[in-house]
Amino acid sequence: MTSHPSAVQERAAAHPGRGSAAARGHWAQEVMALARRWWIELLRERLNLVLSIAQPAIWLVFFGAGVERAIDAEVIGTDDYVGFMLAGIVTFTIVGNGISGAMPLLWDKETGYLDRLMSMPIARSTVIVSRFVFQVAQQSAQILLVVLVALLLGVRIAAGPLGLLVILVAAALLTMSVTAAFSALAYAVPQHGTFFAIAGFVSLPLLFMSNAFVPLDAMPGWMAVVARLNPLTYAIEAMRTLVIRGWAASVLWSLVVLAVAAAVCLAAGVQQFRRQTGERVQG
Amino acid sequence: MGAVIETIGLRKVFGGHVAVEGLDLAVERGQVVGLLGPNGAGKTTTIRMLTTLLAPSAGAARVCGFDVSTHPDEVRRRIGYVMQTVAYRGLLTGRECVEIEASLYHVPRREVRRRAAEALDGVGMLPHADRRWTTYSGGMKKRLDLACGLLHAPEVLVLDEPSLGLDVQSRHGVWEYVRDRCAGGATILLATNYLDEADRLCDRVAIIDHGRVVVEGSPAELKRSVGADVVQVTCGEPARLQRAIAGEGWVRDIVAGDSGGLHVYVEDAAVALPAVMRVGLEQGIELGRVTYSQPSLDDVFLLHTGRELREVEVAS
Repeated sequence: MTSHPSAVQERAAAHPGRGSAAARGHWAQEVMALARRWWIELLRERLNLVLSIAQPAIWLVFFGAGVERAIDAEVIGTDDYVGFMLAGIVTFTIVGNGISGAMPLLWDKETGYLDRLMSMPIARSTVIVSRFVFQVAQQSAQILLVVLVALLLGVRIAAGPLGLLVILVAAALLTMSVTAAFSALAYAVPQHGTFFAIAGFVSLPLLFMSNAFVPLDAMPGWMAVVARLNPLTYAIEAMRTLVIRGWAASVLWSLVVLAVAAAVCLAAGVQQFRRQTGERVQG
Repeated sequence: MGAVIETIGLRKVFGGHVAVEGLDLAVERGQVVGLLGPNGAGKTTTIRMLTTLLAPSAGAARVCGFDVSTHPDEVRRRIGYVMQTVAYRGLLTGRECVEIEASLYHVPRREVRRRAAEALDGVGMLPHADRRWTTYSGGMKKRLDLACGLLHAPEVLVLDEPSLGLDVQSRHGVWEYVRDRCAGGATILLATNYLDEADRLCDRVAIIDHGRVVVEGSPAELKRSVGADVVQVTCGEPARLQRAIAGEGWVRDIVAGDSGGLHVYVEDAAVALPAVMRVGLEQGIELGRVTYSQPSLDDVFLLHTGRELREVEVAS
């Protein structure tokens, strides 16, 4: 170590006890370092970036405008179909991002970079948490854009600007659930083909088995029961209420359910991550 | 504090397959120790346990005095690990890769840039630092991994197949850098299936087969344990030369070759070579070529496993 006189002191400094301020500082540094990595990669994939940001707005305009005339205002409870659809489109985007957001974790696992990360003195939660931070930030930008498009189409958010903030909170909670669930899937599958098969299979039913396109009241009874078990339903209900009706106590209830779902999915994600990093067979 | 790396009865079982079977290893501070063995011998599995990536099924492994199972964080702070396969780094530039990893090693924010540049310079990658990772050759990617593995001035550097897939030029670059690090007092564990690499780089070599250390020692010791050097002599009258040297103390065995030469098995070629020449002069026997060869680590592997390392490689 003679050639690195500062190394010993640095290691001493890099030795904070768990829970100390220095340890939290390290954790934040790790999360931001990986978030920087995701951010650079996003910026370098320009086409991907433009398409993913534009997609929800395009959905809202074409799907919303196209289907509006075919929809019975009595059934959906409002004559503002674009306003009704807004929550569904946001949720649709979250599911899509959840799948694409788990892909870097899948690649890291398959290319072995995850091993490199795991050989470093970083908190085990850093990888998934950095992904959350990144996803929520990216997601919020997309939602603001789609809301802007909705405003241009004449939609008014009944709950006002503060309501928009709560919409972002509901979206962030659902993003955590969905990101954690697909991350868990990414770590659980033997190889990426299985991931895409399962992700592709579940993503559309996940949407149809919610109130994204049809209100719960208009569903057959059994389907409404299934939809009640789907976290998407609660995010949509909260957002839709805030857009169409304004403030209501049910919004708080939906947020609580979303928080619980996020915690459960996160636990599943961490458990699969532990399993993946604890026992790997290679070579 | 004794050995920097120490394993006692280390064992790893995957399903029914025993990958590492009671491995005992001790690496002293400042040593370069090679794990030499064919693919599937258990080298990578051993390294993955030492780098806290795999939990041992039984036995113990300590790095810098810390048990890999109970104190993995302490171990991770002290090791630099360069994987067998090049770490995939997507769309980043070399500098970005190293800076991000410097932050992951908790290098203070204001020092990240300087430290990353130093590490890149150390492996000769500074001129290419701002190019995308995807444009690098295999050797450059490997050197970038090495720079990342040395960012936090590790006490122990673990290299899994350091020169695998590298062209000759960058292979020498890696070797020189590894030697530099050794001069600084770092302890290096490297897994390889290249005999020449183990021979040239390592102070000690542990030959591994079927998940066990078969034999361990310095390359020279190991080769000496195989036994004699071989002196090959061609001359006009091999039979007479054979009779003349048969009784000498330095000769262990003589075998007449097919092409009029003698294979003289001796304790030490340095003693035997002048002695052969002296006998030739005294007896008036004209000698043609006098050469000798030393046993290679391949011979060591052959002696202890009954198989040639190169054959095992080809077969696998």
